[in-house]
Amino acid sequence: MNLKNKKLTDEQFFSLREEVLSQWPTGKEVDLQEAVDYLKQVPEEKNFAIKLEKAKKEGVTLAQPRAGVALIDEHIELLNYLDKEGGADLLPSTIDSYTRQNRYNECQVGIDESIKAGRSLLNGFPGVNHGVKGCRKVFESVNLPLQARHGTPDSRLLAEIIHASGWTSNEGGGISYNIPYAKAVSVEKTLRDWQYCDRLVGFYEEQGIKINREPFGPLTGTLVPPSTSNVVAIIEALLAAEQGVKSITVGYGQCGNLIQDVAAIRALEEQTEQYLKKYGYNDVVVTTVFHQWMGGFPEDESKAFGVISLGASTAALAGATKVIVKTPHEAIGIPTKEANASGIKATKMAINLLEGQRLAMSKELELEINVIKAETKCMLDKIFEIGGGDLAIGTVKAFEQGVVDIPFGPSKYNLGKMMPARDNNGAVRYLMTGNIPFSKELLDFNRERLEERGKYEGREVDFQMTVDDIFAVGKGKLIGRPEVK
Amino acid sequence: MEKKTIVLGVIGSDCHAVGNKILDYSLSDAGFNVVNIGVLSPQEDFINAAVETNADAILVSSLYGHGEIDCRGMREKCEEAGLKDILLYVGGNIVVGKQEWADVHQRFKEMGFDRVYPPGTSVETSIHDLKEDLYK
Repeated sequence: MNLKNKKLTDEQFFSLREEVLSQWPTGKEVDLQEAVDYLKQVPEEKNFAIKLEKAKKEGVTLAQPRAGVALIDEHIELLNYLDKEGGADLLPSTIDSYTRQNRYNECQVGIDESIKAGRSLLNGFPGVNHGVKGCRKVFESVNLPLQARHGTPDSRLLAEIIHASGWTSNEGGGISYNIPYAKAVSVEKTLRDWQYCDRLVGFYEEQGIKINREPFGPLTGTLVPPSTSNVVAIIEALLAAEQGVKSITVGYGQCGNLIQDVAAIRALEEQTEQYLKKYGYNDVVVTTVFHQWMGGFPEDESKAFGVISLGASTAALAGATKVIVKTPHEAIGIPTKEANASGIKATKMAINLLEGQRLAMSKELELEINVIKAETKCMLDKIFEIGGGDLAIGTVKAFEQGVVDIPFGPSKYNLGKMMPARDNNGAVRYLMTGNIPFSKELLDFNRERLEERGKYEGREVDFQMTVDDIFAVGKGKLIGRPEVK
Repeated sequence: MEKKTIVLGVIGSDCHAVGNKILDYSLSDAGFNVVNIGVLSPQEDFINAAVETNADAILVSSLYGHGEIDCRGMREKCEEAGLKDILLYVGGNIVVGKQEWADVHQRFKEMGFDRVYPPGTSVETSIHDLKEDLYK
C-alpha cells in the first residue's frame, strides 16, 4: 500500500486533478485561479468557516437543515424558504444518490424526468451535472453560507465544482462517506480520494481562503456508540489537517440519553483538539455539530416534534456549535419545504430558550466523558500501533481487523462483528465488542450496564435487544423493552 | 412445509443497510431461505440471484426515494429471464416526499409488483403476506 498520511505534493495533486476534471464535461468549467478570485469576493457572512468560528466564540448553536431537489430554480426557492420562513443559520445542498455513486448519466435522466413530471424525482441536488454555472447560480441566489452534504465515496469532482462555486464547506471523509454509504469501495481508495478533497481545501487555505470541512459524525445513524463515531471523527480531522485544512467541524449523532449525548460532544471536542495538538497541527479551528436523532422516527408529526425538540435541547446543553435539523416528515422520507421549515423553527425555539445554559458537570456526566475518552483512546492507540505510526495505514488495517467496527455498515470492508444495545437508562453500550481492543475494565463496564437492563427486563442480553432498540423511537420509546401482553 | 427461497436486497444507488439486515434476520427466523444480495443492487442482481437459486419471491427495498426510477421494467426483465409469475414485493420509502399513498400504490401495481408497502410497514406484515401468497 503506498497510501500514507502525508500531504500530497503539488505534483501529485495537479496530476490527479487532470483526471478528476475529465470525469464529466462540467469538470472543464473549473479554473482554479479564476475560482480563487471568485472566492476572494465572497463576503464574510457567506463564508461557512468564518460563521462557525464566530458562533464558537459567542457560544451559540447554529441551526442547519438538510435539503436538495433536482432542478436549480426549485432548489433556490427551497433554500430561500428555509432561510426566510424557517430561520436557518446555515444552508445545505443535499446531493442526490446517483451523484454519490458518480452515476452522472442517471442524474441526467432524473433531471429530465423531473422537468417532465413537475416534481423532483431525485432525492437531492445533482451538483456535478449542474456544474460551476448551476452551483454558482444557487450560491448567488441565497444569503447564507452554503455546504454540500452527501455521502459520496469519491467526491473529488464534486468538491472541485462546489468550492469553485463559492460553497465554503464540504461534508464527508474517507471513512464516514465510505463505510455507511458503499458496499465495495476499499478504505484505502476512499482515504486517498478524500486526501484529494482535503488537499484542495488546503490549497485554497494557502491562497487565503477559508473553507470548512466536516467529517460525517452519525455514520450509519443506528445505535453507533459515541466512542466509535468519535474515533472516526478524530481520524478524519487528523487526516484533513495533514492536507492543510484549518477549519474542521467534528460531528456526532444523537443517541438519545441526555447525559451520554452531552458527554459525547464534550469528549469529541476535547479529544479532537488534544490529538491535533499532539501531532503538531496547532492552528486548526475545531467546532462541533450535533445531529438530531438519525434513526427511525415516529410517523405522527407531533411525536416527531418531540424528538426534534429533545435533539435541539441536547445540542444546546452540550454546547455544540451547530445542530443538524430533522423534520416531522422524517418517517416517510423527503420532507416538503413547509415541513422542513417547521423542523428548523421548533429547533430554534428550543435553542433560544436555552441560551447561555450548559449542562453542569456531575458525577454521571464526568463518568460518561471518561468512558468515551478511554474507549476512544484504546482504539486510536491500536490504530497507530498497527499502522507503524502512520494513521492512514493504521486505519485501513483497523477496518480489516475490526479494531474499529461500525454497526450496520453496508460495506464489505467493515468487519461487522460489533453489536450495540441500550442499557437500562438508554445509553448505547457495546453488546458484542468483536475485535475492538478495549481494556478489561471497559469490557466489564459495558457488560455490567447491559446485564442491569437484562435483569430489569427479565431476559437474556442478546441481539433481540438491538432489534427492539432500533424500532423503539419510531414506536414512541427510547429503549426497546419487551411488550407487556 | 417446504422451505421457500426469497431474494432480498436494496435496489439502485441506495445504501440503507439497517432494515435489510433486520429483514434478513427476521425472515430467516420465520423459516425462509433468505438470499440477501444487500444494498446498492441493480435489478439484474436481484434477477440473477432469483434464477440461480430458483427463488419463489423477490423482496425489493428502497428507502431513498428513487424507487420509482429504479423499479421500472423489473417485471418485464423477470419475464425475459424466465421468472414467470415470480412474486415481486416492494417496500420502504419508495418515492420522493409525502405523496398520496393510493396513487403511489397504483403506480407500482401497474409496474407489476404484487405487493406494495407504505413506509413503516412491520416485518410481521410482510412475513404474513409471504406465507399467504406462497402457501396458498
